[in-house]
Amino acid sequence: MSITRRVFMRNSALAVVGTSVVPAFLTRAIHAAETAGVQNKRLVVIFQRGAADGLNIVVPHAEQAYYAMRPSINIPRNAVLDLNGFFGLHPAMASFQPLWNQKHLAIVHAAGSPDPTRSHFDAQDFMESGTPGVKATEDGWLNRSLRELPKASLTQTDAPFRAIAMGPSLPRILTGAEPAVAINNINDFGVGGNNKNAAPISNTFEAMYDHSVDSVLHGTGQETFEAVKMLKAADPAKYKPAAGANYPKGYFADSLKQLAQLIKANLGVQIAFADIGGWDHHVNEGSTQGQIANVLGDFSQSLSSFWTDLGDLAEDTVVVTMSEFGRTARENGNRGTDHGHANVMFVMGGAVKGGKVYGRWPGLDVSQLHEGRDLALTTDFRQVLGEAVARHLGNKDLAGVFPGFENPGFLKYLG
Amino acid sequence: MPFKPAHFTSTVVLSVTALALFNLPATGKKKQEAPANEMDPQKRVVHALNRLTFGPRPGDIEQVSKLGLDQWIDLQLHPDKIDDSALNARLAPLRTLQMNSQELAYKFPSGQVIRAVMDGKISMPGDPVEKAIYQHQIAKLADKQEKKQAATLQTANVKDSSDEDASAKSAIAPMNPEEEAKRGDAMFADAEAQQLLALPPEQRLGTILKLSTADQQTLISNVKGDKREKILDGVPPEQRELMMALNNPQQVVNEELLQGKLLRAIYSERQLQEVMTDFWFNHFNVFIGKGADRYMLTDYERDVIRPHALGKFEDLLVATAQSPAMLFYLDNWLSVGPNSDVANGIRGHGDKKELKKREKQNGPVKQAKGKRNGLNENYGRELMELHTLGVNGGYTQKDVTEVAKVLTGWTLKEPRQGGGFQFDERMHEPGDKVVLGHRIKPNGEKEGYEVLHILAHNPSTAKFVCTKLAMRFVADDPPPALVQSMAQTFLKKDGDIREVLKTMLKSPEFWAPDAYRAKVKTPLEFVASAVRASGADVSNAMAMVRQLQNMGMPLYGMQPPTGYSMKAETWVSSAALLGRMNFALSLTGGKMRGAKVDAQSLLGTNPPTDGGQALADLESTLLAGDVSKQTHDTIAAQLEDPTIAQRKLDDPRHPPNVGMIAGLLLGSPEFQRR
Repeated sequence: MSITRRVFMRNSALAVVGTSVVPAFLTRAIHAAETAGVQNKRLVVIFQRGAADGLNIVVPHAEQAYYAMRPSINIPRNAVLDLNGFFGLHPAMASFQPLWNQKHLAIVHAAGSPDPTRSHFDAQDFMESGTPGVKATEDGWLNRSLRELPKASLTQTDAPFRAIAMGPSLPRILTGAEPAVAINNINDFGVGGNNKNAAPISNTFEAMYDHSVDSVLHGTGQETFEAVKMLKAADPAKYKPAAGANYPKGYFADSLKQLAQLIKANLGVQIAFADIGGWDHHVNEGSTQGQIANVLGDFSQSLSSFWTDLGDLAEDTVVVTMSEFGRTARENGNRGTDHGHANVMFVMGGAVKGGKVYGRWPGLDVSQLHEGRDLALTTDFRQVLGEAVARHLGNKDLAGVFPGFENPGFLKYLG
Repeated sequence: MPFKPAHFTSTVVLSVTALALFNLPATGKKKQEAPANEMDPQKRVVHALNRLTFGPRPGDIEQVSKLGLDQWIDLQLHPDKIDDSALNARLAPLRTLQMNSQELAYKFPSGQVIRAVMDGKISMPGDPVEKAIYQHQIAKLADKQEKKQAATLQTANVKDSSDEDASAKSAIAPMNPEEEAKRGDAMFADAEAQQLLALPPEQRLGTILKLSTADQQTLISNVKGDKREKILDGVPPEQRELMMALNNPQQVVNEELLQGKLLRAIYSERQLQEVMTDFWFNHFNVFIGKGADRYMLTDYERDVIRPHALGKFEDLLVATAQSPAMLFYLDNWLSVGPNSDVANGIRGHGDKKELKKREKQNGPVKQAKGKRNGLNENYGRELMELHTLGVNGGYTQKDVTEVAKVLTGWTLKEPRQGGGFQFDERMHEPGDKVVLGHRIKPNGEKEGYEVLHILAHNPSTAKFVCTKLAMRFVADDPPPALVQSMAQTFLKKDGDIREVLKTMLKSPEFWAPDAYRAKVKTPLEFVASAVRASGADVSNAMAMVRQLQNMGMPLYGMQPPTGYSMKAETWVSSAALLGRMNFALSLTGGKMRGAKVDAQSLLGTNPPTDGGQALADLESTLLAGDVSKQTHDTIAAQLEDPTIAQRKLDDPRHPPNVGMIAGLLLGSPEFQRR
């Protein structure tokens, strides 16, 4: 077994057998974080799994070639939500328009991973490890970005919610030496439910895992029980969505709604991750209506609701979206698209200089396409994410976060 | 005592009972001292049970020891020799597990089939019960369409009156006739439910069928959860299925499939075959949520995967390539050669009568949904990346396109009605193709077999498949030497999976002491092993199936074709660990619906009243005694706490809370590994 995920890193007061109340220092820490405001910046990364079709999301409606290559699935010029006379949003993303107009939303087009793979699995792996082409990387870049990052609060010695992933398992992007928790549902994040015996049983399990010599289970177990207790004390259930935050139904919206609760409960969240599937449209992709419209509606409505829900806290938040690769510039034989190369990324945040499409547009003429079939790549995804890590979160050790990456320069989408 | 193939020839002919007469030395009190680089005999048995089954049941270790480990392994490698009637009896009520896709699609119609009936494209079944299911679904669909129309009207109205004060509208609320109707429906349904409960179970379906379709609808949509379970309780399986089908036909098919999977993992005596079936299903993953695949997975697993689970890899590969489930999932059924007749709009020349007949049934191919005039490379890519060569197995984008061309014409008749594989020459790309340097001459359907043969015998495939097998059975990062010797067998023995497993089971790596309990269980392995260890009697596995979803491993629920990871880091997360602890407590605490655990029986016929002994006994039954001092001490100490147990471990007047101790052990770090 070569998994050395965690070293026993803390001699935590929580390890005491039989602890049934939340330690005072944790409650103190929560209040301290509320008042001190030492480091409240946070980064939320969204993964669109399955290779989203960037050309039908932010549509280059001034490109004649776009319409020529997609006779049945293009977004007609009169249907796109025009952004700047060249690009336009898919009409299902109307909820992004106000964010764009308020200059909180920026777009980076023709971006992605430089590795040429068209395998979902490999491409996602590379985008999560942050080392395209290198398989041996054991941890994820989002985990590494915590390494040199100042904690959310000076008094907060343990911050189980510093890095969280919404979902039943910890994704590749967050695995590594820094503690991170996966949360499926904040309402049943605990042991034994609500009955009166739950606390002692929970403590028994905690003691078992705390004392376990099994390094993998020990580390995760310890993080888990710290998180459980902290969550109980903060009671995020009382933070209801803000007025105007109309989350749609579904897994992705639920993830973001709960994430907003955790952020509003002031649990010291610095890094969060959520994902949304359903983008692999090989057949009947649809145009203004249909599969892509449905998933885009869900995607954009969830994110804009999240933004509204965060209220003032959105000022300190940057959200970046990514997908493993784009799709073929031409539609295939089944009114769908196959695996391609470059894609589009969204960045939103209080400090973002939005209302602008960043990156160089490579064009869609056959000679300009990657391997004659896909949108060419002009911005490395690490340029986009690296800027958020370095300039928003304040982690200057980019070489540690993205080893081997030679940064050609930031896009300067942050003010 | 390494696992020697020499034993095979002699033992295969002997029956199990005959073997028992040899009375091989049982491992027990007197533990043989094993050298440091070998497992002792008892551990070997536990290890084999942990790796080749979904976990030992109480008594399994003794039985395998008695039979002889090598003989037991040999039996597991030849599942046909193992009687599995007890499992089959459990599965018998799940009747859809025996049906083919066509039957499923007909008896438990999807929304699409219902719409086709509404449009007059398919005729209504004559059988009164089936008719009731169809009528019910038609009524439901019509209702939904009506509501949708009403909603559109309403939004239009709201837009028109957008400047009206919103509070003025809410003032009308108390008069809401919709609410009133809802209340009336609920009362009606309640009364009907009471009447049904008063009837003997076998008369309930008949009574429901006598109601008007509208009343049935009201009844079914209002009676949910526990109440529904009560009404279904004791109803003969066939009628029970129909009653559930009235509400949601598709759900019957899916729930029985899901339950079947878990029940097999828990109760099959052919454990290795089930482990391998799970392995291959995951390798050739198909997602249940994709359209017609909901109806195709039942026979995919039963007829495509399981029969080949220990057979030849090429047979398995061809079977999956031609399975409706895979053709639909990875879109190959839609892939059309860019220069084929269909793409060129040329009508068939061959048997015109046959073509006409087919077109009459299915409509002309080129008018099907989606303009079908080009390649779809989805399957071609995954075939090489995930099913055979592996991502670094030495193929290019050009190979992907060429393989896609070779497989054009491998399509389906009417997938939504459960139709099967067919080769359609008119969709097939003409001309030579070059795959991995091999020139494939034009040969219609046979080109596909040729390419699958090439792929199945490629050294990259041998290495990739054997690496995955070793990851499942040996270690997350399997020793390269082991993979290599398995791959050699794979190539030498024509991809014979049984032979590959034998090589693995003879290897020192499989039996290395540091392999013992080194693999973290996946959620499925955890759930199945916990249920097996607890000796639970499962009458309905749905509650457990839902728990698997919370642990991140919904059965048949992996959307991408990669399948689930077999590595520890995927499954060790906060959410998942809490899910496991809660599952354990709920199972042994008698709170898991559909599963009965007699915790007391885990202590044997003569349960100790001494608490310390009870804990020790449970450690031995549930974990073969492999409990760390830390875990043991923690449980012992915590159980002294009156707030937990409300009774003392060593007080004979208050027997120990066996269920809770068992739950704590099943949720312990030790039980998370196999």
